[in-house]
Amino acid sequence: MTAGARQRGVGLDRLGGLAIGLASLIGAVAFLWPFFIHAHGSQNQAHAGDAPWIIAALLPLLLVAVLGEFNSGGIDAKGVAMLGVLASCGAALRLPSGGAAGFEPVFFLLFPAGYVLGRHFGFLLGALTLFASALVTGGVGPWLPFQMMAAAWMGYGAGCLPRLQGRLELGMLAAYAAAACLAYGLLLDLWFWPFGTGTSTTLSFQPGAGVAHNLVRFLLFHFSTALGFDLPRAALNAGLILVAGRPVLAALRRASHRAAFGAPVEIAPHPPG
Amino acid sequence: MITFDRVTVTYPDATAPALENVSLIIEEGQLALVIGATGAGKSTLLRCVNGLVPHFSGGRLDGAVTIDGRSTEQYRPRDLADVVGYVGQDPDASFVADTVEDELAYAMENLGVDPATMRRRVEDVLDTLNLHALRQRAITSLSGGQRQRVAIGAALTAAPRALVLDEPTSSLDPVSAEEVLASLARLVHDQGATILVAEHRLERIVHFADVVVALGAGPAEVRLGPPTEIFATSELAPPVVRLARQAGWTPVPLSVRDARRHAPGLRQRLATAKRPAPTVTRGDRIARVKSLSVSYGPIPALAEVTIDLHAGEVVAVMGRNGAGKSTLLHHLVGLRRARRSAVEVLGREPAALSASEAIRLVGLVPQDPGSLLCAETVEAECRSGDHDSGLPAGTTRAMLESLVAGISPGSHPKDLSEGERLAVALALVLAPEPPLLLLDEPTRGLDYRAKERLARHLRALAGRGHCVVVATHDVELVTEVADRVVVLADGEMITDGPARSVVCHSAGLASQVARILAPAEWLTVEEVAAALGEPLVGERSSR
Amino acid sequence: MLRTRLQPLHPIAWWCWAGALAAAASRTTNLLLLGLIVAVCAWVVAARRGNSPWARSFGALLRLGVFVIVIRVVVQILFGDRTAGTTLFSLPEIPLPSWAAGVTIGGPVTVQALLGAASQGLRLAAILACFGAANSLASSFRLLRCVPAGLYEVAVAVTVAITFTPQVVLSIARVRDARRLRGRATSGLRGWRGLAVPVLESALERSVALAASMDARGFGRRVTSSGRRRATAVVTLGGLVGLGIGLFEVLDSGGSSGIGLAVVGLGGALVVAGLVAGSHGPRSRYRPDRWRAAEWLVLAAGLAAAAGVVVTGHTDPNALSQPLYPLGLPALPPVALAGILLAALPSVIAPALVPMRATLHGALA
Repeated sequence: MTAGARQRGVGLDRLGGLAIGLASLIGAVAFLWPFFIHAHGSQNQAHAGDAPWIIAALLPLLLVAVLGEFNSGGIDAKGVAMLGVLASCGAALRLPSGGAAGFEPVFFLLFPAGYVLGRHFGFLLGALTLFASALVTGGVGPWLPFQMMAAAWMGYGAGCLPRLQGRLELGMLAAYAAAACLAYGLLLDLWFWPFGTGTSTTLSFQPGAGVAHNLVRFLLFHFSTALGFDLPRAALNAGLILVAGRPVLAALRRASHRAAFGAPVEIAPHPPG
Repeated sequence: MITFDRVTVTYPDATAPALENVSLIIEEGQLALVIGATGAGKSTLLRCVNGLVPHFSGGRLDGAVTIDGRSTEQYRPRDLADVVGYVGQDPDASFVADTVEDELAYAMENLGVDPATMRRRVEDVLDTLNLHALRQRAITSLSGGQRQRVAIGAALTAAPRALVLDEPTSSLDPVSAEEVLASLARLVHDQGATILVAEHRLERIVHFADVVVALGAGPAEVRLGPPTEIFATSELAPPVVRLARQAGWTPVPLSVRDARRHAPGLRQRLATAKRPAPTVTRGDRIARVKSLSVSYGPIPALAEVTIDLHAGEVVAVMGRNGAGKSTLLHHLVGLRRARRSAVEVLGREPAALSASEAIRLVGLVPQDPGSLLCAETVEAECRSGDHDSGLPAGTTRAMLESLVAGISPGSHPKDLSEGERLAVALALVLAPEPPLLLLDEPTRGLDYRAKERLARHLRALAGRGHCVVVATHDVELVTEVADRVVVLADGEMITDGPARSVVCHSAGLASQVARILAPAEWLTVEEVAAALGEPLVGERSSR
Repeated sequence: MLRTRLQPLHPIAWWCWAGALAAAASRTTNLLLLGLIVAVCAWVVAARRGNSPWARSFGALLRLGVFVIVIRVVVQILFGDRTAGTTLFSLPEIPLPSWAAGVTIGGPVTVQALLGAASQGLRLAAILACFGAANSLASSFRLLRCVPAGLYEVAVAVTVAITFTPQVVLSIARVRDARRLRGRATSGLRGWRGLAVPVLESALERSVALAASMDARGFGRRVTSSGRRRATAVVTLGGLVGLGIGLFEVLDSGGSSGIGLAVVGLGGALVVAGLVAGSHGPRSRYRPDRWRAAEWLVLAAGLAAAAGVVVTGHTDPNALSQPLYPLGLPALPPVALAGILLAALPSVIAPALVPMRATLHGALA
């Protein structure tokens, strides 16, 4: 009797998990760099020097390391196919609006998928959906690694939610969707903040001025510019999950079952003679 | 070459085995045809050959499957890729690259073949399958037949010793199907490949086969033998074989050419027999299409098509893939609207009506009937059907029972067989009793029994006063069901006439019986049996 | 070696060229130099774009760049710092409570403030233009085929995603038709629910068939020994640690640390090395994109622009910024100018694309 190896979809070993934790930590610092940067001791106090560009080049390297770790952890054919197909659905969701005015229903698919298929799958799906949709719409920009990282974290979080039943499940997912969309908007705004305010406005960050000081400035910037995008996005995604979440979850569960992730394989040849 | 040793396959969560105690040996260089009713386990059998069952699908396999000396116990599908090529039922779902050339090279890349050999093999496969003009084209821009050949080529470039195909010609029109089958025959005869094919439409492939594997109704009935032996008694048989059994010809001929050698005697007997009178009378006109012209951009899809449709008749719309059949049906049902309104059903224009009004006037069963099914159980589907049409509860369910009995209400629509899914879709469309019913390629994936059932229902509908329009390129269905045939080519109407004359006088559209008995005009085996006054041989008791 | 008609420039060459130009743009706020960079990008795109569907992204990113400039200027007007200079106009000041961390709304708006804001916005717009050029010129499919071995499966997933997207779009149209055939409305939130789920289900079904087909064609034949796996994981971890230290160094020194940049570079190199040496298997490549003389020249052209700006930054740093006190025309440093003009060379060096027939994204176009 031979018990065959199961196809797990997406997996990680211990070293890989360590790498991803480390990369996420560095990534968090990279997002929050305006709060952590020290003042430059030269003539032009207001400049942050080359920090924004170095960090813009650093985050793709972090992403590449993380994706490489997932890759070595083993993605089999079923995992690749399901990732690709779900990422393409997400990309197709983004097509009509092109991300304009916050109407991005792309997360509507990401959160249930992460919830049903696991946090590692959710992490990868978040990153790959944003990447695929950028490629499809031809809009690969300097914001893309930040979007990918933020969406990956959102997908990971969806996979960490507790398993509930019935209406509680939908409500929890919708609440998570609203919170995660707002968090996503916050993170992207963090990226845009130094560029949108430069160094010579009262909304700009001030190197070395302390976290509280910069935080107030950032929040004022965030609420005055980006809420127009974030609130509709959060409302749209939460609303879609409440309305269509149940059949989407059922379809994902059915697919996960049908794909026989982890189904046992037994082969029992007849004894000779 | 391929050996099954007392193989029993049980899927996870299944109560009964899908295959039971199957033993067979397929020699090298043979073309083996696998036949069986839907659900008999043809796909399971094919997937055992390259190890997808059980490694990919999970489950339990008792016994041993060996290909070219390698057992699927130790070798997983990816390890068998250089020995077995597999082409699944849905080639469109299996493409991983954007251009034809890259798709062909994919399997070789996985196997680590060196670049020079890759270039050579890609050229060879392009020539074998007649694809060299398409090498840089994007796959999504190809026609169905071309895509099917690309899928076969993608499996061939790994230079496997055996090739396994699951219903390769089911969605193709006769010309494309001929191209694909000719390529397969070339592979067998010129290159000595071993090919295992599962098919429903046996007419085109039966005379290519060296050996037939017949899967019976129960999981334990498997027969293997030369075609003449199997088809002498098999329930599933193409019209040429059924005609031969009716007329008592032995050995059973498998192609039209062989059958014509036996035919003169039968033709003589039929010359004096009485042709059964048509039993359908045409009613009033219920729909009219007047000078309908449609173009998608610069490409004309329909050009000045004019058709009148009457109650009580069954009209078949035939033509190549891309001739405009689906476009015509979409305009008739109101999904699309031409610039100058040219469609009228019972005095009203379907495209101008709301969805719920339109379904009471015209119903369409689309090419993929499963796309109409969106609930989680058959029961929920029927209830929502009643709700959508504003009918009393249970109407759709009753309609479904009359079409096919025995579908468990709790089953998921995706788990049903093709015939059952078509029946559910038909029940949903027929529940509001629209006077005009349209069907787009309904016989895709249906076995002979389901096709026969469908033909009976369509004739019954016509008898009740509906008008039925079937767009199809399945000539056998047309001969069983249609009173009138309309032929489209490149958007233009070529012919509109009684079925008998159109089918018998056309080379490409003639049924097998018509070709065998030409120049006498006979369409089906049932007609021949009735004219001779004999009971139909092989009359199936389970109706 | 002769390049065949059908082979366009290696996509990584385009991205490196665009990256070098973007790096050049990031070091200057000189309006003329930035404008020249945008012009060079537009020139090369116009010359070598081809008519693939992503070729239009340059225009979209240009428009986005304009939008960014507008935002930057508006924020400057509303929230500007009290920069000295000639006042253009004054907005009424709205007082904010004391916890507002020094944020002020309104106040006098000076020409210097506006010019400074516009030049910072233009810098970002020029970088966006470089990205737009790379998007238009480099084929995503060929880019995905170039990934190192350590990212192969992820690249296949992305390829599947972009190959599949037009089919999803078609599937949405088919499902909408099916809804109408059932007698249901096709608009509104209800319509959404009926649309999203069948499309998702058919997509998921196809994914299983796709996985079977990939498996049957040998996907995943690579086997990595655990020793090699551990080695590459250690290298990657080392690279990550390097990135972290480099980041810390950069933040600590306020953004101008050469050491920080070097450590980040080292960490990045380790990460990439871990990928390239990653899971090794029997995979080969059919017709890989070759890196030939034209690719080197294009790369050199991009680096010339970056080098020109960097050299000018050392020799004549004031020429790289917009002169505000006193107001004046921006300078024209000859070295930087020459470098940026050299970056327009790919418009003639790179091979012209043969127009693609019947492209993949016909449904999207």
